[in-house]
Amino acid sequence: MEMNEDKKDFKTNTVGDIFSDNPKIVSRNVSVYYNDKKAISDVSLDIGSKEIISLIGPSGCGKSTFLRCFNRMNDTIDGCKVEGKIFLDNENIYDEMIDVVPLRAKVGMVFQKPNPFPKSIYDNVAYGPRIHGLVDNKKDMDNIVEMSLKNAGLWDEVKDRLDSPGTGLSGGQQQRLCIARAIAVSPEIILMDEPCSALDPIATAKIEELLQTLANDYSIVIVTHSMQQAARVSQRTAYFHLGELVEVGYTKHIFTNPTDIKTQNYITGRIG
Amino acid sequence: MNKSLMNAKDAELIVKSSVLKRRRKDKRLKFYGRSTIFIALSFLVFLFYSIFEKGIPGFFQYYVTLDVNLDQKRLDPKGDLSHESLYNGDGRGLVLEALYKVIKPKGRKEKKSAKKIISSNADVRIAKMILNDPSILGKTIPITFAVDDDIDSFLRGYIKRDTPESDRRINDKVINFVDILVKENKVIYKFSDYILTGSASRSPEIAGIKGALIGSILTLVVCFFLSFPLGVATAVYLEGFAPKNKITEIIEININNLAAVPSVVFGILGLAIFIGVFGMPRSIPLIGGMVLAIMTLPTIIISSRAAISAVPPSIKDAAYGVGASKLQTLMHHVIPLAIPGMLTGTIIGMARALGETAPLLMIGMVAFIVDIPNSIQEPATVLPVQIFMWADFAERMFINKTSSATIILLVFLILMNAIAVFLRNKLERRW
Ligand SMILES: Nc1ncnc2c1ncn2[C@@H]1O[C@H](COP(=O)(O)OP(=O)(O)O)[C@@H](O)[C@H]1O
Ligand SMILES: [Mg+2]
Repeated sequence: MEMNEDKKDFKTNTVGDIFSDNPKIVSRNVSVYYNDKKAISDVSLDIGSKEIISLIGPSGCGKSTFLRCFNRMNDTIDGCKVEGKIFLDNENIYDEMIDVVPLRAKVGMVFQKPNPFPKSIYDNVAYGPRIHGLVDNKKDMDNIVEMSLKNAGLWDEVKDRLDSPGTGLSGGQQQRLCIARAIAVSPEIILMDEPCSALDPIATAKIEELLQTLANDYSIVIVTHSMQQAARVSQRTAYFHLGELVEVGYTKHIFTNPTDIKTQNYITGRIG
Repeated sequence: MNKSLMNAKDAELIVKSSVLKRRRKDKRLKFYGRSTIFIALSFLVFLFYSIFEKGIPGFFQYYVTLDVNLDQKRLDPKGDLSHESLYNGDGRGLVLEALYKVIKPKGRKEKKSAKKIISSNADVRIAKMILNDPSILGKTIPITFAVDDDIDSFLRGYIKRDTPESDRRINDKVINFVDILVKENKVIYKFSDYILTGSASRSPEIAGIKGALIGSILTLVVCFFLSFPLGVATAVYLEGFAPKNKITEIIEININNLAAVPSVVFGILGLAIFIGVFGMPRSIPLIGGMVLAIMTLPTIIISSRAAISAVPPSIKDAAYGVGASKLQTLMHHVIPLAIPGMLTGTIIGMARALGETAPLLMIGMVAFIVDIPNSIQEPATVLPVQIFMWADFAERMFINKTSSATIILLVFLILMNAIAVFLRNKLERRW
């Protein structure tokens, strides 16, 4: 098949196994430029179905940049150019024919800082289904909102005040509201960019717990600056350094027995 | 020990003395700040005092009450109660007869002097009363008439009794008649019927700002409906859709420059294009509004862009993140959050437009217009131009009326700002 040829035709310096047995996303030789400044170069990595994969590395190494390639959020940044190929279910999402609207419904995103809309809790969750026309009556919408909030572990805390503003919740609740908003449009993949960096340890623990449940239904790519978090939540871990994917492998392996010297230095705290 | 470091005691002393110095400097700065605020406030108080001191009396004027015999034949010569017939009637004669009954002038000379007392507008007043209520025809009823502006000035004390008769605008006989009227309790000082509801006139006692006020409102309405949608649309395009290239850059620089162009230039532009090229009539609110719209556009665009770019990018990310298109992100999230800021900018622009004179002079809105405009296509003048014209007239009463009109302009401005604040508070989401 032509697609498969495409997927095989690449070069990589990455240590470890970039492949996945049951890949959902396949990225090949992805490079990103911000106004001619190269942010990441030739990153090739498979994301498995219903797996949690962590992207770790020192700040500025290009983790967020790589993450934003999967739902083409980089398109919204002026002067940002993406090279290479990313296949989502065998379809190159950087193909000219691809519309970002359905893509972003399929690949949800949760941001570093909780960013609920300045609207009610209900409207925050209902916004996605509404603009995509997923349902056409109030009852089905109520149902989506309830299920999304339940799956995000927020329902019990907010079911009595769905009309109150989403921005009035605590940080951790806001972040779970953002997760509910993302899963309300039934995505297959959820991207998370340091979702806990603005949260206290208790709220962080809640989100990490939630991630394990979500992994039953979604592929999750999570950027984190906390190695402990990566170790706790993910099956696989990818280590980035200065815009390159240095090493990738099973989380246990990366944290106990890294192969590359740069990974070793980072894990042991010599780069940070 | 490191030699270059001071010992702690010395350092403490130096820090202490410098603290005193710094505190003194702080105090001095505070004092300077307060003094400038005080000076600015005093100017403001002075300004308001001088405007109100002259302006408040401008809202009042002297009237004479006379029992007028509303003779049907003489008031309505054609007998059909038509405008034409009533305005040809001899109201003036009847008013003078009523006046003569009180002051009893002897001979033609005295009668001629007495004629000066009542405003020339008396017959129009009677005609209007009859149009309102024809049943008063044939009766004798008391009617109040504005006194002529010279009499008004005399009653206010601006024209002094002890100036020699030859230097006075009114002679001894007239003063004598006025004294009789005062003694007979016929003279009253009350809120002016004309200042708010009259239109432009060369007779100061009947001149009012209604025409100019309506002209201003019509002009501003045109200005708003042109500049707000255009300005917001331009801002949205520039912030959200315009490609970042040389052409966009040139457009942006030009918009910023336009905001600083003297307003009279926009008047010249309007004169050349709307009147010169398109041959539209002069002096009409439509053109005035168009010129002011061009003038306000840069302000609205700049403030709208600022409001749009002040919307947190995280909100846009959130919308894009769930798959909203660019237009949806703008319409559902960015513009609702930016609207209060846009409105504030618009009202500031409109307030400036309200006070603008120069560009309107260029397109002929300075013409002397007696009729009150009914549409944006009828000649009109506007408040600031009216003020400008009144300030130029010599009659004493116009000095007061100029300040009165200024007060009305200020009230109008405050009203507009109040609406802006109200709208902003109402539209601003507090979460
Ligand atoms: N919007 C942007 N414009 C220009 N350069 C950017 C932008 N975002 C990120 N970069 C640059 O790209 C590199 C990678 O950034 P990022 O992906 O945010 O790193 P990380 O998430 O690993 O901290 C950095 O050098 C950063 O300065
Ligand atoms: Mg980052």
